[in-house]
Amino acid sequence: MKRPNFNFLALGKNIKDLFYFLGSLFHLGLENIFWIFHAPLKKNIILEQIEKTVIKSLPIVSLISLFIGIILALQTAVQMQRLGSEMYIASIVALSVVRELGPVITALIVAGRSGAAITAEIGSMLVTEQIDALKSLAVNPVHYLVVPRFLALSFMLPVLTLYANIIGIIGGYLICVYKLSISSTMYINITFEALRFKDLFSGLIKALFFGMIIALVSCLEGFRVEGGAEGVGKATRNSVVASFILIITADCIFTAIFYFVFP
Amino acid sequence: MILIDQITKSFNSKLVLDRLSLKIEKGETKVVIGRSGCGKSVLLKHLIGILKPDSGRIFIEDRDITELSEKELNPLRMNMAMVFQSSALFDSLTVSENVGFVLREHYHLTDQEILRAVKEALNLVELEGIEELMPHELSGGMKKRVAIARAVCMKPKIILYDEPTTGLDPITADSIINLIKNLHDRLKVTSVVVTHDMKTAFKIADRIAMLYEGKIIAEGIPQDIQNTDNPFVYQFIHGLSSGPITGINYD
Amino acid sequence: MIDEKKLEFKLGIFVFLGIFILAIFVFSIGDFKIWQRGYIVNVDFGFLNGVKLGAPVRFRGVDVGEVRAIEIIESDESKESKVRVSCWIKNSVKIPSDVSVWVNTLGLLGEKYIEIMPGKNNASFLKPHACIKGNDPIAMHELGLLAKELISDLEAIILKLKNREGSLANLIYEDSLYKKIENIISNLETLSNEIRLHPWKLLYRPKEKRR
Repeated sequence: MKRPNFNFLALGKNIKDLFYFLGSLFHLGLENIFWIFHAPLKKNIILEQIEKTVIKSLPIVSLISLFIGIILALQTAVQMQRLGSEMYIASIVALSVVRELGPVITALIVAGRSGAAITAEIGSMLVTEQIDALKSLAVNPVHYLVVPRFLALSFMLPVLTLYANIIGIIGGYLICVYKLSISSTMYINITFEALRFKDLFSGLIKALFFGMIIALVSCLEGFRVEGGAEGVGKATRNSVVASFILIITADCIFTAIFYFVFP
Repeated sequence: MILIDQITKSFNSKLVLDRLSLKIEKGETKVVIGRSGCGKSVLLKHLIGILKPDSGRIFIEDRDITELSEKELNPLRMNMAMVFQSSALFDSLTVSENVGFVLREHYHLTDQEILRAVKEALNLVELEGIEELMPHELSGGMKKRVAIARAVCMKPKIILYDEPTTGLDPITADSIINLIKNLHDRLKVTSVVVTHDMKTAFKIADRIAMLYEGKIIAEGIPQDIQNTDNPFVYQFIHGLSSGPITGINYD
Repeated sequence: MIDEKKLEFKLGIFVFLGIFILAIFVFSIGDFKIWQRGYIVNVDFGFLNGVKLGAPVRFRGVDVGEVRAIEIIESDESKESKVRVSCWIKNSVKIPSDVSVWVNTLGLLGEKYIEIMPGKNNASFLKPHACIKGNDPIAMHELGLLAKELISDLEAIILKLKNREGSLANLIYEDSLYKKIENIISNLETLSNEIRLHPWKLLYRPKEKRR
């Protein structure tokens, strides 16, 4: 009867770790907000981070959004042709991309691509004593490292999401207009007729929060690196996993809020 | 003057510093020797406030830095500089950005003024023409020099060196030792050097202290240490594998 | 060193295109109402059958606006509450005063919308905030009541039929009637045959036999 006991202990430890993680995340967030308002912002580092984390993600985000649009159009085409209402493919593509897939896919790509890079960068800075060096030079690591990444990601992820939205819709357009011979004007009309401001802005607000989550989680995991290159690898893995989980959880909560509170 | 008074520090219930006391006079070069992993670097990080002791106090110029907040600590840190074991150059920045980092972060200077100060600091460490290189393009010895340049660029009163010669070939190591001595004489700074390399220690030390099991077990001028009758110190400075530290006796 | 100028340029393009996309969305999105000017026409219903806020308003079957507000108001004179629907209609469309308004159902999913059809008199138009009366849709339960009445009437008829009462029952159950009709038809048949074969018989009047 030793085994269940052991598992139970492991579970307890995991739950403890989870609360520890959430606590440090919250703490880092607060510290980050403190530094945003209490010290001059470093414009050139923010610019650099926007370039590294967001603008350089644009090609892969575009590619994946295009395919998502195409896939959505093809998948719904099968069902819609049965009902003889192919023209509604446009509204299905528009709504699912703008409300859900645009923000979430963008966030997941950026978390995997840039979040992992942030964790690895901060982690190796920690391992090679660069974080200590920052402190010894009287520079706060949160101010110097977290704030620029936080601002870059949270304000630029919505912009990236806009790109993902329009490119996803273009993907659907390509299939519908060139494959299912729906007229171009009809597709565009139905797309925009189906959309409401709420759809667009709920997506963009989600993206804003996803950006914050990615920045904070990846920086936190970077700061929590323990023990050399292996530790950096482990932290990078944890960072991507934690970002994914938190993004999807936040998405679920936001969708529920937008569904129940602001119908 | 730096006064370390009875500091204790443990990591994950492993005691690293055990009621350690040490006094460093103004303008002297104090070398702390000890085995790898005995807490020498931890001691240095306490001096610059990166780590806080579990108990005990550290006075720098009569101010207890263990009671200061991060914000109050920063002005003090501007008078201190640390040269890290791995040099710890910021690898996303060029050499000149690394060296001028403090000036850029804390002073409102023009680019020209910063560049002039950077050139001056690089001259002090006998380097020139490498301002636009990235740290990964430098050799180990050059990195160490750049790290020292970064430290002297802020015109500190105290410089802390963490293993300055470890990982360098003997010739480079010797040039770094000479550099440290030169800087000490020219800038009139207090230096604290942590090392396990006895050659380094004897060459640059005004006084040597030996750290063993979280305590200072011997302290004195190099001759005293050389002629010690403490068996622990004797084993360490002569680099013997048999003796009381290892608990092995080959006799 | 990072080339700040180049970075700023890149960021500029990135954000500019982002705002451009946002503008595309904002100006083409379905809720045209925010950017267009329009006026409100109030329609009073007794029963609304589940029209939602934002439901389309159609004039002669063309989308011209949407439902902006739905409120239940107590009117003092009639001591009866009614539903006031505020319909937003874009400025370019003029609604004649003589119209009938009702709730209609759209498409497969049964989305409700407000249908406006003009009457014959198109001389004057509704002014902003004008109030008109809508024709109530028939509620499901009223439809049910109607059907029930109909069924009970039918039931009475069928009962009479079963009890062989009334002329309809006679028609169905009395064979003699059928036989009589059959006789008549066969007589008619003989007659028509006779006429077909000897059409002159129509003109012929047999001489009276003088005795």
